[in-house]
Amino acid sequence: MTTHATKISAEQVQVHYGDTHAIKDVSIGILDNTVTAFIGPSGCGKSTFLRCLNRMNDTIDICRVSGDIKLDGHDIYDPSVDPVQLRARVGMVFQKPNPFPKSIYDNVAYGPRIHGLARSKSELDEIVETALRRGAIWDEVKDRLHAPGTGLSGGQQQRLCIARAVATQPEVLLMDEPCSALDPIATAQVEELIDELRENFCVVIVTHSMQQAARVSQKTAFFHLGHMVEYDDTSTIFTNPKDPRTESYITGRIG
Amino acid sequence: MVNNHIASAFDRDLDKIQAQIMKMGGLVETAIRDAATAYELRDLDLAAKVRANDKTIDQIEETINDECSKLIALRAPTAIDLRLVLSVFKVSSNLERIGDYAKNMAKRTIVLEGLANSHDRRLGLKRLAREVELMLKDALDAYVNRDLDLARDVIARDMDIDQMYNALFREFLTYMMEDPRNITPCMHLHFMAKNLERMGDHVTTIAEQVVFLVTGQRDEDERDKGDMTSSDPEMSKTSKG
Repeated sequence: MTTHATKISAEQVQVHYGDTHAIKDVSIGILDNTVTAFIGPSGCGKSTFLRCLNRMNDTIDICRVSGDIKLDGHDIYDPSVDPVQLRARVGMVFQKPNPFPKSIYDNVAYGPRIHGLARSKSELDEIVETALRRGAIWDEVKDRLHAPGTGLSGGQQQRLCIARAVATQPEVLLMDEPCSALDPIATAQVEELIDELRENFCVVIVTHSMQQAARVSQKTAFFHLGHMVEYDDTSTIFTNPKDPRTESYITGRIG
Repeated sequence: MVNNHIASAFDRDLDKIQAQIMKMGGLVETAIRDAATAYELRDLDLAAKVRANDKTIDQIEETINDECSKLIALRAPTAIDLRLVLSVFKVSSNLERIGDYAKNMAKRTIVLEGLANSHDRRLGLKRLAREVELMLKDALDAYVNRDLDLARDVIARDMDIDQMYNALFREFLTYMMEDPRNITPCMHLHFMAKNLERMGDHVTTIAEQVVFLVTGQRDEDERDKGDMTSSDPEMSKTSKG
């Protein structure tokens, strides 16, 4: 496997929710053009850590984040950084498909409009088409771009949300259990899409399905009780993990 | 690792496959011992039994293959579980080969009995057979107990087997040169010695599976090859020259 540059580097990140110490001393280098999976049991901190990467935790009052998180070498928690601009660079897709109650076209055009990415209608059309193609849903919706996004099936809605996330031309895509509300076919389509997205983006995915992590990612980090226990090539994690806690978890033993 | 999967049926499946391996291993050990005894005592009934029992060994191998495929399809084993399943595949196919060699020895024992001028020098083969049988027993013990030291010891002992085979090779060659009428029986005896030497290689592969199962890695192959008959022209010279 060719080595890619480090896109996000986190050093000794701590997260507290009030008195709860949710993330303990996590350091990780996330590579560009790579799918990195975060796995671990419920409450292990994987989603919390994911949300640190685009400052989604800022919206929670009692949440405190400390340590260093750098995107391309720049501290994303620096006071000069505008979280809205940051989230345009670090997009996010959630567990439940959440299209806006607008047309398919407007769902995708929303981000480029508020960030002023298009100067004309035709340019915006092009951005929307590119994003829908990247979301692997263009062929299914091109004839009904002005139908409501909420009228699509669950799997289509999730791909629409991915298209919406890539429309602002982010560099990083964070996905928080993007397939857990989808059926197996829609899941396979989204997984195929994730693999394609890797060519242009740095992708980080939180998943409860270990098989999904094994299928889509090149790097896997295992979280347990707020610690990042092990981080390695996915093939190593699933064939010969170093830490007995990782081994217990991935083989389905009580850890 | 102790068996404590959340899905206890997974544990039962793994236990079942390992029990099959042990059963198969026991039958193969018996096959080697019986083949050697049949040869030593000229017991043709025992030789026929060895040949018949090989069918059971083959059947167990098929059962193991089926069970393993099912387990891979249904349980998607990872890490230690995956290595266990992979090693079971390898161990069972190596056991099956050893069984075939034992069967072949039994077959030649029967043929030898029908030959005039059959040699009565039976000690060398018997000693070789006993060493191989012991190596297999230790390899299987190492497998069950996940005993790395014992496995590595077995791997090292393959050298002795090779040397014993070399000595026999030279001995048979000498007899054949002494008297051409010895050629037919000695060819059979040589094939039996070669069978035992090959069994040693299969046992070594089983021991290597123990290393892979426990460590997730394969030892570097630095093992000296003791069988020089195929590479050293000097080996084909006999004491009588």
